[in-house]
Amino acid sequence: MQILRFLQHWLMGRGVCLQVVDFVPVTHPLRQWAETFPWAALVAAVDRSFARRFPKPTTRGRPPVSTRVLLALELLKHELVCSDAQICSRLRTDVAVMYACGIRAVQVDGSQEHFVLPEVLAHFRSRLDGSLMEELLAIQAATAMAEGLVSPAHLVVDTFPSEQGSQRVNDAATLYKAQQKSSSSSPP
Amino acid sequence: MRRFGRQCRGMGKVFVTLVRQTETQLLARGHQVLPLARAVHACWHSMMQLSEDQRARLGIQLTAALKAHQRIEYQARRLTQGKALTHCKIVSAYDPTIAPICKGKSHCPAQFGRKPGMIAEPAAGFIVALHLPVGNPSDVSYVQPLVDKVEQAIARSAMYPRPAIHSLAGALAFNDASLREALHQQGILTVGSPHTVDPLPPSPTPADVLRLLSEGDLPRARTPCQVHLAYASGYSRPMVESIMASLLGRGAARLTYKGQRGAIVQTGMAVMAHNAATLVRIHEYRLSKRARTFRRRLRLRGRKVNQGNASIN
Repeated sequence: MQILRFLQHWLMGRGVCLQVVDFVPVTHPLRQWAETFPWAALVAAVDRSFARRFPKPTTRGRPPVSTRVLLALELLKHELVCSDAQICSRLRTDVAVMYACGIRAVQVDGSQEHFVLPEVLAHFRSRLDGSLMEELLAIQAATAMAEGLVSPAHLVVDTFPSEQGSQRVNDAATLYKAQQKSSSSSPP
Repeated sequence: MRRFGRQCRGMGKVFVTLVRQTETQLLARGHQVLPLARAVHACWHSMMQLSEDQRARLGIQLTAALKAHQRIEYQARRLTQGKALTHCKIVSAYDPTIAPICKGKSHCPAQFGRKPGMIAEPAAGFIVALHLPVGNPSDVSYVQPLVDKVEQAIARSAMYPRPAIHSLAGALAFNDASLREALHQQGILTVGSPHTVDPLPPSPTPADVLRLLSEGDLPRARTPCQVHLAYASGYSRPMVESIMASLLGRGAARLTYKGQRGAIVQTGMAVMAHNAATLVRIHEYRLSKRARTFRRRLRLRGRKVNQGNASIN
């Protein structure tokens, strides 16, 4: 219900109501993948961290896109090896991606070009930090341990190299383009 | 891809010459900027038309610009012609946390980037914790922070009785006497970490078990059965490589997000996506024979994937 409230500006269209669950079979890899995450605990940790580091000066204005959707998009980006623009585009057209983002029903509206913009995802990512990532990983590990799926009794440690690459469209460029677009589309 | 220089270990001169040339250019520009920056600093307080916020913002920018030059100047003084760069030298003027990776590349160009460390359970490859330090420190320095993070995860799980780390396996790079001693003091066996390049024995003799338990002064903390399990779950290069391949396939091969924070976010997300895929494999019991045997001996269970978290989505 909370997700629906946050995404009402694009979920409450006037078209046919599409039940996402009916289109994604139980055996779908993305559905199985998404259901392993302890979403409630992860979202609560992100919201707590953001509320502490970026307190909102006012409660006015349109509610933001749900943390559940943005966090799932960021994880899906790595699982499906997509760029920001590609994953945001797939959220509009791919029902399995919608399911993984916690969306269970959508009001179909053909004129809607996007659900979540790449700059919103870039802005969300810019707020993530090292300690929060540690916490998220610890939550995932703790949940798996508590369910008896993994054991920390015998462990193996190693390092691996990660080269420094370059982003073809980096976050700064995405945010700059969005700023330019909004300034050119707004009335004088 | 940021790489240059050494086609093999004997060509260190190319490495040094290229860095020297780049440094000379940067230092020449920096020397022109330095007097101007000092002049600005001198008349800083007399500019009454600037507000406090503006003054603070400009002050931060000026200090950052001066620091960048100081770092390069410091490195230029330390560099010696004819010697290869050691760890933690600046290789990018835009991101001083990037370092050359001198690991497992005997006949390849040196890579620039980072070296994340992971601690995983060897049965299915679930990564319990990740550590990504600044620069390129030795592998030994990764172990204690990783063990601490695992302890934090265990504490978070709120399980009773609380699970403990019985053994820790690693490559030859983790062979350090002080590290072994520190782990033994925490009640952790190090039988999976080799002392030499000789292969580890597949199973210990009863005499080996007694020797290992008395070596680490662990006869009360650990049992012979746990030593046998630790041997069984010792360091296995194919298993570690499979975890790395999974991570590299999920975007950890090339760090595209900027800075240290960006690297942590990107690697962390790749690890979480990998862990979710691992849990799916556990649920479906798509595991190797070794992993199945190991899980059976640890009494770990599998379950249907769609029965668990459906309610919390």
